Amino acid sequence: MAAAMAVRALRALPHIRIPALPASCSLHTTPPRLKTRAARVRVGKGDKAVTYEKAHPPHYIAHRKGWLSLHTGNLDGERCAAQRAVEDSFVRRFLHGTFPGCLADEAVLKRRSNSLLVCLLLLRRLPPSKLCFLLGYAETLLSHLYKCPVRIEAQTVPDAAVYKYL
Amino acid sequence: MPEYITKSFSPRFSFPQDPTAAHYMFHDDPYLMPKNSATARLFSLSKESGRNAAKYIIKEFPHFFDKILAEPNIPSLMPEICTPQIEGVSEEALRERINLRMVKASVDLFDQLLQAGTSISLETTNSLLDLLCFYGDGESTQEKESEEKEDLEESEVNASEQETPKRPPQRGSHPFASRWRENNNAERIFKIMPERNAHSYCTMIRGMVKHGASAKAYDMYTELLNDRHKADVHTFNALITAVPFLKDRFLERWELIKMFLNHMAQQEVQPNVQTFNAVLKTLRRCGGVGRSMAVPVIKEMEALEIEPSLATYDHLLSIFYRSADLASSGIISEVLDDVEKRSFTPQDPDDAKFFISAMQVCCDLKDIKLAYRLNKAVEKGDNWKFLDMDRLNSYWSRFFSLLCMMEQIDVVLKWYKEMSPSLFYPSPKNILDFLQALDAANHLEMIPSVWEDMKQLGFSKRRDLLEEVLSLMSRDQHPEEIQLAFAKCAEDIKTVHEQSGRDQASVEWTGSALGSVTVLFSRAGRTQDAWSMMERFQQINRIPTDLVMDEFLNCAKQTNSPDEAIKLVKLAASLGLPSSQKLKSRVEKEFKLSENQKKALESIQSDSDSSDSDSDSDRD
Repeated sequence: MAAAMAVRALRALPHIRIPALPASCSLHTTPPRLKTRAARVRVGKGDKAVTYEKAHPPHYIAHRKGWLSLHTGNLDGERCAAQRAVEDSFVRRFLHGTFPGCLADEAVLKRRSNSLLVCLLLLRRLPPSKLCFLLGYAETLLSHLYKCPVRIEAQTVPDAAVYKYL
Repeated sequence: MPEYITKSFSPRFSFPQDPTAAHYMFHDDPYLMPKNSATARLFSLSKESGRNAAKYIIKEFPHFFDKILAEPNIPSLMPEICTPQIEGVSEEALRERINLRMVKASVDLFDQLLQAGTSISLETTNSLLDLLCFYGDGESTQEKESEEKEDLEESEVNASEQETPKRPPQRGSHPFASRWRENNNAERIFKIMPERNAHSYCTMIRGMVKHGASAKAYDMYTELLNDRHKADVHTFNALITAVPFLKDRFLERWELIKMFLNHMAQQEVQPNVQTFNAVLKTLRRCGGVGRSMAVPVIKEMEALEIEPSLATYDHLLSIFYRSADLASSGIISEVLDDVEKRSFTPQDPDDAKFFISAMQVCCDLKDIKLAYRLNKAVEKGDNWKFLDMDRLNSYWSRFFSLLCMMEQIDVVLKWYKEMSPSLFYPSPKNILDFLQALDAANHLEMIPSVWEDMKQLGFSKRRDLLEEVLSLMSRDQHPEEIQLAFAKCAEDIKTVHEQSGRDQASVEWTGSALGSVTVLFSRAGRTQDAWSMMERFQQINRIPTDLVMDEFLNCAKQTNSPDEAIKLVKLAASLGLPSSQKLKSRVEKEFKLSENQKKALESIQSDSDSSDSDSDSDRD
């Protein structure tokens, strides 16, 4: 009993191989490799087109990348950074659903005093009148949801700009 | 002349400064920017309908949007409370539903209250009557959409005849032209009212006039007089607008108007600007009587010290300038004198039509100075607010047509560069006028750039414009580089004719278009292209004119290609044209032919002799 507990305790530590005791069934494990996987596109066969934004992992922010969401919540003495983060993620999901398949890249959200500026890069998949409809709809709905003026500045591109293939 | 130009282009000019930018309401992106007036209208309407869709969602699901996040609270961004709060059968509940404009619910509640025996105050009944008469016993449009979906609406007939504000009105007289049904709710409630005051009668009259039951309105008015009540000024205005539907002959209409005005004086009701606008609007439909009576009406207005609104002037202009006999009055300059001095506020729904009709009158009178004065009047104060994007487009479109007719070409060009596409999108008529102005001023070398503009506006498939452009280019001989530019333009037009897009039919060639293109190619020395054009003539069953063939021969001579010349003679002979002989002799004389070619030429002659009998000469 104590031996089994000791075996389990030892097994919890990484990098230690212990032979299985006959009284307990065990898994064969390899030493776990703790890799960071955040915001990284893994290298594949070379057919995945990747934009500049996606190709750079997050440690390149402020070196090769800018920020996708700009607000003053993280400055000293400022509050409500978490609320801004929640609002941002909602807005991104909303835009992803409202413009189906038309987003060429992540939206950039900027907050200037009271207003929220959404800078979108859209593909030319829909006819322009439908895009105008969706833009008017999104602006009004987001304004009413967040009780602040929301302006969408959209730019259309024929194709998403590919930075490299991974 | 020059001072008008400098004044119009002064920095005070409140219209957009950047001549290449579209209206600010559009997104600044080449895909989302409109190219002509139809797309401009489409994009602005789609944006607006997107906003309306969002508002609908907010109204349907207010519980998602009612959290107060802003300090202080912004009431315009909060959802409106559209469901009634007070339950139960009581007068306050009825009042609340009337405030929320719920027509059917209020009528039902009213009936319930009556059955329960409670007496309802006169004021509440009056406000219920107001609601019913305003909406003509149908629902307000918001309710109509949701109720159509729920399929509850019993007055579906009325609801389907009501139109959402965006669709163009199909009936001539009223924008909300649902018909007043016999014995509808308003009439029923009116009849069972224990006591009625003047307000009840007035509401009923105004509702009936609005929804087209003019005769009933008149009867209601006589009832009002019998009950010794006094009507108010709005009722009289409504009755005056209903006069054309009550009487047919002009004099009778005028007599009826006078009767109403006399009654007004007797009942000591002060007329307002809408009264006079209504009088003038009815006088528009009174022909000659209208013309003679309009000026005294205006004098009366001045005597009563009522400021005329833009609608007054609009009615005046259409009374005096309706028929073809336009030179009869100089009233437009007097009208402009008044309009220039003041900055107007909207007082009447017809105000917005003034500037367009005034510009139309200037165009008909072909007076450019008046048009410049009108432009200055638009710039003054708040007057620009009367022109929304649609009207702005048609206003400037007419102004541009007038400019092309009347002004020197450099002024026209300056305006053209400044105004399109930012201020207005040229219509096909504008382009035609512009081409004629260029023709009159002998500036035909600008035609290739006009063609570029036409392509951008999306007019490249319009046959009338294509014909005009081609005929202007091919009419005269021009110096060398212009001719080359014309030939490039002709090639462009040729690709337009030939491309068959996925769902667009290609433009058919006409004889004159084909001839012009051939001539242009020939004059620029492009023999191969010209020959391929000549071959097309047979495809479309047309015959090239003599001019075309002469030009082709000239071209062949210049580029020293006798083969082409012989092919031409063969073509002419096969079509059996009488000019083939002339062509043949020309070729013999002017070209240096080898032995083979001479033989070929001889053999053609014999062909033409035999086929002479069945020459068919249908020239286009």
